[in-house]
Amino acid sequence: MNKLKFWLEQTMMISFAIYLGIVIEGLVYLIFKGEALSTFSLSWYQLISVILTGALCSLLTLFLLSDYEGAGKRFLIKVIIHSIGLYLIVSFMGWIFNWYTGVTGFIMVTLIFLMVYVFVWLVSLWFYKREEVQINKALDDIRDEE
Amino acid sequence: MQVHIEKANSKEEETAVIKAVEITDEISAAVELLEGGARSFAVSYEDNAYILKAEAVYYIESVDKKTFVYTKERCYDCKYRLYELETMLGGYFMRCSKSMIINLRKIRSVRSSMSGRIEATLLNDEVAIISRGYVKEVKRRLGL
Repeated sequence: MNKLKFWLEQTMMISFAIYLGIVIEGLVYLIFKGEALSTFSLSWYQLISVILTGALCSLLTLFLLSDYEGAGKRFLIKVIIHSIGLYLIVSFMGWIFNWYTGVTGFIMVTLIFLMVYVFVWLVSLWFYKREEVQINKALDDIRDEE
Repeated sequence: MQVHIEKANSKEEETAVIKAVEITDEISAAVELLEGGARSFAVSYEDNAYILKAEAVYYIESVDKKTFVYTKERCYDCKYRLYELETMLGGYFMRCSKSMIINLRKIRSVRSSMSGRIEATLLNDEVAIISRGYVKEVKRRLGL
């Protein structure tokens, strides 16, 4: 049940971050290409493909990182494998669902991927930090005197 | 077991001496009762049996199906399994990984790592790892 919850939460977080990336992509087109936002369009299946991609990426996270208890070098290697895996999923899904055409589009998808990846890590770290502060505060009230 | 009660002249003189071949669960319970409800359990150190008060315990670890109880100064052997101790001790004693029970009252501070697990520094400066899967329960016990 916990794994299912983790998977759904991650799917929502990644999907939200990709949608945010799409909004930023639209703004980039508007600002640097001078095009109206109306020329920037998405098909219905592309919107669904974002959630599907989020679910696949979460699945990889679930298998690689959710139960991992290690630290240091081994953890770093896992994170690198994880990030490459995610990039392959995103590239493949982008190719299948026409997220990009040509090299420029692919570069844009890569940039969005990097942005989403950093965003998800930052949100996770912020969540862990907040949790750490809360726990330390609560421990102050029950700690034994030595 | 025979029970002898002798009259003492003052509260300070009140003492209970138990002579037993081994420390059974019943004796542990009796000790606990005599000590005013402070939870305690049987442990051993260098072939000597002791009754250890729960409040002295920092953490309990299971290694190769053996259970070790750590206090500030010593490491005791214990006949109980982790799941039994978890039930017996309750309260601020909780599982922090598959092989460890930690006393939350002995944690000086915690620090989150990138992998989501929590490193808990104990009052004796030892560091115990709280797995991600047990963090929710830690928060629940702390009323968060």
